[in-house]
Amino acid sequence: MNNPWKFLTAMVILTTLLSALVGCGAQPPAQPVEPAAEATEAPAPAAAPTEEAAEKEVVLHTNLGAEPASIDPNLAQDTFAINSLEGMFLGLTNINNVTAEIEPELATRWEVSEDGLVWTFYMRDDVTWTDGNPVTAHDIEYSVKRAIRPETASPYAYVLYIIKEAQVINQTDVSSDTYDIDTLGVKALDDYTVQFTLEAPASYFLAISSLWTLRPVPQWTIEEYGKDWTEPGNVVSNGPYMLKEWKYGEHLTFVKNPDYYAADNVQIDRVEVDIITDQFTEVALYESGELDIAGDGPGTLPSEEIARIKADPVLSQELHEGPRASTTYVGFTMTKPPFDDPLVRKAFSAAIDRETMVRDVVGSGVPATQFAPVGIFGAPDPEVGIETDLEQAKAWLAEAGYPNGEGFPTVTYRYFASSLEEALGEALQAMWKETLNVDVNLESQEWPVFIAGINPETPLGEMPEMWRLGWGADYPDENNWVYEVFHCTASTNYSRAECTEADESAQQAALETDSEKRKELYEQVEALMFGEEVRAAPYYHRGYTILAKPYVQRSYPTFAPVNWDTWRVEK
Amino acid sequence: MLRVIVRRLLWFLPVFCLVTGITFVTMHSLPGGPFDKEKTPPALVEQMEAVFGLDRPLHEQYLTWLGNVVRLRFGPSLASRGRPVESFLLPGLSVSAQLGMWAMLFGLLIGLPAGIVAALGHGTWLDHGATFVAILGVSIPAIVLGPLLYWLFGLELGWLPVAKWAELSDGIVPYFKHALLPAITLGAGISAMLARLTRASLLQVLHEDYIRVAHAKGLAPRVVTTRHALRNALIPVVTYLGPLTAAVLTGSLVVEQIFAIPGMGRYFVTSISSRDYPTVMAVVVIYSVIIVAANLGVDIVYVFLDPRRRDAS
Amino acid sequence: MSSSTHADATQADSAQSDLDLSSAPRRTRGLWRDTARYLLHDPLVVACVLYIATLVVVSVFPDTIAPLSYEQTSFRDKLLSPGSIATSEKLAGHRFLLGSDRLGRDILSRLVYGTRVSIAVAFIGSAVSFLIGVGYGLVSGYSSARIDNLMMRLVDVVYGYPTLILVILLQVYLTGISQQEAGQTTGLQRVVIGLDNRTGGLFFVFVAVGAVSWLNMARLTRGQVMHFRDQEFVQAAYAVGVPDRLILWRHLLPNVLGPCIVAGTLAIPTYIYTEAFLSFIGLGVQPPMPSWGGMISKGYGAMRSAPHLIFPPALALFLTMLAFNFLGDAVRDAMDPRIRHR
Repeated sequence: MNNPWKFLTAMVILTTLLSALVGCGAQPPAQPVEPAAEATEAPAPAAAPTEEAAEKEVVLHTNLGAEPASIDPNLAQDTFAINSLEGMFLGLTNINNVTAEIEPELATRWEVSEDGLVWTFYMRDDVTWTDGNPVTAHDIEYSVKRAIRPETASPYAYVLYIIKEAQVINQTDVSSDTYDIDTLGVKALDDYTVQFTLEAPASYFLAISSLWTLRPVPQWTIEEYGKDWTEPGNVVSNGPYMLKEWKYGEHLTFVKNPDYYAADNVQIDRVEVDIITDQFTEVALYESGELDIAGDGPGTLPSEEIARIKADPVLSQELHEGPRASTTYVGFTMTKPPFDDPLVRKAFSAAIDRETMVRDVVGSGVPATQFAPVGIFGAPDPEVGIETDLEQAKAWLAEAGYPNGEGFPTVTYRYFASSLEEALGEALQAMWKETLNVDVNLESQEWPVFIAGINPETPLGEMPEMWRLGWGADYPDENNWVYEVFHCTASTNYSRAECTEADESAQQAALETDSEKRKELYEQVEALMFGEEVRAAPYYHRGYTILAKPYVQRSYPTFAPVNWDTWRVEK
Repeated sequence: MLRVIVRRLLWFLPVFCLVTGITFVTMHSLPGGPFDKEKTPPALVEQMEAVFGLDRPLHEQYLTWLGNVVRLRFGPSLASRGRPVESFLLPGLSVSAQLGMWAMLFGLLIGLPAGIVAALGHGTWLDHGATFVAILGVSIPAIVLGPLLYWLFGLELGWLPVAKWAELSDGIVPYFKHALLPAITLGAGISAMLARLTRASLLQVLHEDYIRVAHAKGLAPRVVTTRHALRNALIPVVTYLGPLTAAVLTGSLVVEQIFAIPGMGRYFVTSISSRDYPTVMAVVVIYSVIIVAANLGVDIVYVFLDPRRRDAS
Repeated sequence: MSSSTHADATQADSAQSDLDLSSAPRRTRGLWRDTARYLLHDPLVVACVLYIATLVVVSVFPDTIAPLSYEQTSFRDKLLSPGSIATSEKLAGHRFLLGSDRLGRDILSRLVYGTRVSIAVAFIGSAVSFLIGVGYGLVSGYSSARIDNLMMRLVDVVYGYPTLILVILLQVYLTGISQQEAGQTTGLQRVVIGLDNRTGGLFFVFVAVGAVSWLNMARLTRGQVMHFRDQEFVQAAYAVGVPDRLILWRHLLPNVLGPCIVAGTLAIPTYIYTEAFLSFIGLGVQPPMPSWGGMISKGYGAMRSAPHLIFPPALALFLTMLAFNFLGDAVRDAMDPRIRHR
């Protein structure tokens, strides 16, 4: 090697080879070459040969916001996964994600026994899996049992605990003698009739029947591929869309299922879902035309962008805002002085300027004084709870023995690291300082540390006085809110509240079959928990802020999953 | 020569065990686990931990992990319910490697000639100009340059895409359009560093006695420069390529975040905060191996470049 | 240091200067003065020194210099462009010279307080690299081959890690552990955690930066010591029975200090960048404490809506790194007599 340039060339080749080596190991080199033009303009490939080939393929480009952890219905947990699997797997019933009504899906009708314990669903017989097998009641029985089996380790098994023996089986060692999955309260009476037996009467079971956790799954595919059964190529589904490609960390591709029983009503042929976590990038891609929709993930667009979008004559027309069934609150450690005094908690709740929070800090959403937003069954309308009242807040704090904050110790508000939570924490700190003249320390922790640090086993000395949590609906019923989140024994009870009349009413409401009486009970519970005892200070219901191109006709869901099959793209 | 390589590789084994062992213990002793969610009751969390063997003693878990790594398996990712780590990390690594390669190439193509020109024209305006640009280059970090380029070419001028990565199969033009800004962001510092190093090294060599001798012998200046000076001047530059690889690896972490590129770097931070132990371990292993390999490669090239070493071995 | 040992060094050094042209700069009385004179001759260097001095002053007295506190929020005044006057009552008349952020906080004030973080990291990084790095290198280079080997292998192990990855792991670990144990610890731990809380998480950033900053210095010092160890003046001292401690302190240290200072100055931008990088990916100082890296990270997404969020901290970071790089180069040139006299 007597020439430096030769050496240089050698180095370049060396680095290239190294990188190529890595590259080759990971990616099969031969990939079908797609035309360089924008994918939306591309002529339809062989995906939809049944229709007239000349017709243009209708494509929607959207973003999920993050990687779904698992799209296995029995295991799914995060919003990203629920949005992804919504198009693939049908439920017994479906929640209308705008009105929150329960509608028929696989089940065309259902019956409840006199005592409210036995639910029978009658299913339609014209639905098939993508491999041609019919979708039957046995698939549902299999799915429910699979979700409850301890070895499945489903994170959502607890929503099914209302089914007879479910909790016992789920918490029993598989090898023990008492373990018997067949005692579970689910049974396929024939191919198209499935019957559930409950632990106690629960009128909200109809809402539960729409949840992804108990949607039918294909036993034969799961047994063939094991945990890889949801991979593209393996997966067998039954909904309007099929998973075609999943490039981890990049995007998912869904194509229309031609054998879907209502395929004629589905207009969009292909849905390209990006996985862009940064919302600024999402908006930039929307504006450059690479996305048709921005903001369908669980978050809200950043307030900086909302301000600009609202000032822009074109973009402001494409912005859609509305409420989501989701609430953010300040939790209080009710056993830790000075927050053992309800007056202090009332003062801190009343001192939160909810209007400012929603308008200036978050940029979207609705001020909240109660936990469950209006629209959830049983949520009081108008809202109950403690309203923002700065003078009253001062008075309450004075009544508690701290006039103008004098003598009040420095307390801690803890939240998990995120840009929005940081802004909210800093805003809360400033509001409490200004109104109550108290010093609040901010503590930001990464999520796992945060959530592990406020559980009921944490010694009181290590607990912050206040912390941030939130809740999003799994199904549209107050039971999912006040009972499953704040009940003194049935929930995690982060606030460490003692059992009171409110908990009794919440339990009673769960068993009550008369819907008017239930509503009354829940109104009491909300008023007690957040107006009198102040176990937490709900301060805003999160909202959606979605940018959608004018050619996208769609619904804007208050309620979790998006339904692409009902949307249209008219270019 | 071979002995050197074998010794270096043997030395790598204890280092590897130490590095991975420390990371393993560190990660597992962090508070919070991968399945802690506000909605999941503790009993169900324990159930999931048992499914992934997280309830076993730590040393047992480590040994299992080590056994798997030897067979090139990094285990199931906890954040995605058991998807094998390599199934998404390798495509990410491929993207990161491409990005790193373009950045290095950019650095070499700009940095080396600039350094040589500056040294040969020592004291002239060319030298001053190149030196000045180089010091600007080493002073502008990726977290400043990246957003600046993104803003200028992506947002204001709209010439280049603002995010994501294209595969080569998407076409040459989209590929380079996507790769250009990230590669420059990552490569600018490298080229400046290389230019400074090349210039300093060449300047030093040009004043060595043997160069004076060569000139005195009446050799053509061009021959002296290329055959005698440049070759020796490049030795320190080559040794710098090892640490440079490390800089590119960690630099890509930020660049991937700024330009929303699906590379390996971003998995590192997210997997730490989601307590996805196998993914964290895999990234650390891959980084360590690349750095060791780069240093070893540098050592080998070094021997070839330096006749004294070649004779010695 | 006594003048006699100093003379030893100079003599020994000059005696062999003919043999070894590439030896490190000789330390004579005049060297420091020459260096300083050479440095102050260059207007650019003077500008850099003045700029850095300003930063130091700003970081020592941020309360006096910043118009507002870094956590003073004013929601009515959010995202104002530079030069706007506050519209809210509580800040009536205040002019946001560099604009305000999404909580209506004064960017200029946050920039001023952010200076403190960068400058502190620069000094702590240097201090640790000198105290630990030089010490470690001295001992390693002067010890028997076996101990030297052992010590250097340890450095190699840490080197097997990419530096930033190590810093990230360390930072996550320290904060994670400290947050978990905040309530129950006693004594020293409580002091350390308290210190970290009061400095907004800065203390653990120091530890993380310090943990890697000494490595290079240790290698460099060891190399230098190896070089000088076998030279006559050291051998002579050893022969007349000067204790090892004194040989290290009086004979070797002064000789290796020059290159170490050069390397130390050149490494300062790295420390500043490490902190900025950590804050950029959200692992640095804790909010609401501002840091340039953190401000850049908040601003880069919002570039179209509010470009004034990112440009001030980005420019500040760039200029500071530039100033330290210039200074480092100048110090290196000044301490290298061959370049200086050319």
